[in-house]
Amino acid sequence: MKNDNKPSERNGERPKVIFDGVSKHFQKGKESLHVLDDINLEVRDGEFVCLLGPSGCGKSTLLNIAGGFEQQDAGRVTIDGEEVDGPSSKRVFVFQEYGIFPWASVWDNVALGLRDVPKEEREETVQRTINMVGLAGFERAYPMELSGGMKQRVEVARALAVSPDVIYMDEPFGALDSLTRLTMRSEIIRIWQQEQKTILFVTHDVDESIQLADRIVVLSARPGRIAEIVEVDLPHPRDLGSPEYGVIKNRLYALLGVEHTI
Amino acid sequence: MILPILWILGSAAVFIFADRFPERVRDQLLPISVAVILCALWSIAVTLSGTATFPSPTDTWVGMVELIESNRIWGDIVASLHRVSWGFCLATLVGIPLGLVVGWNTRTFTALNPIIQGLRPISPIAWIPIAILWFGIGDGAGIFLIFLSSFFPITVGTMAAVRNISLVHQRSAMNFGLHGMQLFRRVVLPAALPQIITSLRIALGVAWLVIVAAEMVGMDSGLGYLINDARNAGSRYDLVVATMLVIGVIGIILDLLIRQLERFDEVRWGYARR
Ligand SMILES: Nc1ncnc2c1ncn2[C@@H]1O[C@H](COP(=O)(O)OP(=O)(O)O)[C@@H](O)[C@H]1O
Ligand SMILES: [Mg+2]
Repeated sequence: MKNDNKPSERNGERPKVIFDGVSKHFQKGKESLHVLDDINLEVRDGEFVCLLGPSGCGKSTLLNIAGGFEQQDAGRVTIDGEEVDGPSSKRVFVFQEYGIFPWASVWDNVALGLRDVPKEEREETVQRTINMVGLAGFERAYPMELSGGMKQRVEVARALAVSPDVIYMDEPFGALDSLTRLTMRSEIIRIWQQEQKTILFVTHDVDESIQLADRIVVLSARPGRIAEIVEVDLPHPRDLGSPEYGVIKNRLYALLGVEHTI
Repeated sequence: MILPILWILGSAAVFIFADRFPERVRDQLLPISVAVILCALWSIAVTLSGTATFPSPTDTWVGMVELIESNRIWGDIVASLHRVSWGFCLATLVGIPLGLVVGWNTRTFTALNPIIQGLRPISPIAWIPIAILWFGIGDGAGIFLIFLSSFFPITVGTMAAVRNISLVHQRSAMNFGLHGMQLFRRVVLPAALPQIITSLRIALGVAWLVIVAAEMVGMDSGLGYLINDARNAGSRYDLVVATMLVIGVIGIILDLLIRQLERFDEVRWGYARR
């Protein structure tokens, strides 16, 4: 690798996900919308990385490229050295809106990616994952009978059940009320620590990024460029009132170009 | 004259004091009182106009009893239902698979959608001469017309349902590696099913409208024919109106029956936010 400042090398771990010069524009009629500009980023195995930026800066687009749902104009994304060229259950999404199937029970939703697994192992995995996200007892329930937070738990369970290499989360808690959102954040940290998954988490919420991430990738407004990568070197569970927290918060607000005090 | 006015006053009282009744009773009582008011107004209008041809509610009731006791109406009900059920079932068997394929496959959609949209606005009634030319006077023409009138709502509804499958659900399916029959069975069909059922409901309603018209013009049995026959055979408007009421009641029953499909766990989500 060319740059010895890359976090992967500094920690002596192999990089899991590599974004190498990724650019993207959308054609809207005659107008060309430049969304992402030369994104270079390395994500370590087991790392929790937040992509933080204003709405419309291209966060979802970047994640969709990494998931194989969108095609970049230039550059490439590799996972474990393998180039991403389409969707795969090795890298799964927890979607912004509810991506679970309303026509299937909690159990069937979680079992979605396990069709080729032998029955016994499948049932064991589904039950274990449902228990892990705290939905034991709701296996036969349908999504419409669940609260927003519970639906999002189903979605997380569905992703975890296939033991993916990477989990992409696109503002997964955006539609939840603020208390449920806090609970879901600590739940996701608990699960992440337990399962040691690599997580790429998109948010436009400064607090959310500091509460969750090992590193926060701050994107500038469109065209999205990496403005700065901010390390959050605080142990979990994080003290939201600590001076370090405040320092990082001020730094992020400054990077996003907004004043913290109103 | 006095009796209908009393009925109206009584129903108005139910309306005014509706809050005093328990909710379940009230939900039954309110529509009944409106029906009573309408019948009373009808009765008053008949009396005031002094008409000898148009039946009063009582005449209609007597006509209804006559139809039922003469056994004549049962044969006509069966004839109409026979045509509707065959035409509707055939349209379902053809329309749903066709709609699923055309909705899912972009090339087929591009090729067939303009044709389907072009044929759809042609009223099934306009097909009656052709139906009779091809099938003669009888069940064949009726079934064909019902097939046509159900086929378009079902096909177009199924097509739209498939094309409306949300991007998140499509992407979820791709993300977890669903393709081919699995994609179809686990995502396309269940996602479209609520809207397909709605289109079946619409189609059955249209079919019931069309069969009456078709039987009036081009058939020699059925409820539509009965209406025509009652008028032609001595202006029996009491039988005409009685038959109309029977048609209405059967329409309600058909709708109630088909709505049972909406109650399955797999489709209930599709009607939740209405
Ligand atoms: N498929 C698309 N076609 C055209 N423009 C798009 C498409 N997807 C996203 N965009 C545009 O690209 C920009 C970035 O979108 P997005 O990645 O969703 O931003 P974010 O997730 O950061 O809010 C927005 O201005 C959006 O309107
Ligand atoms: Mg977004």
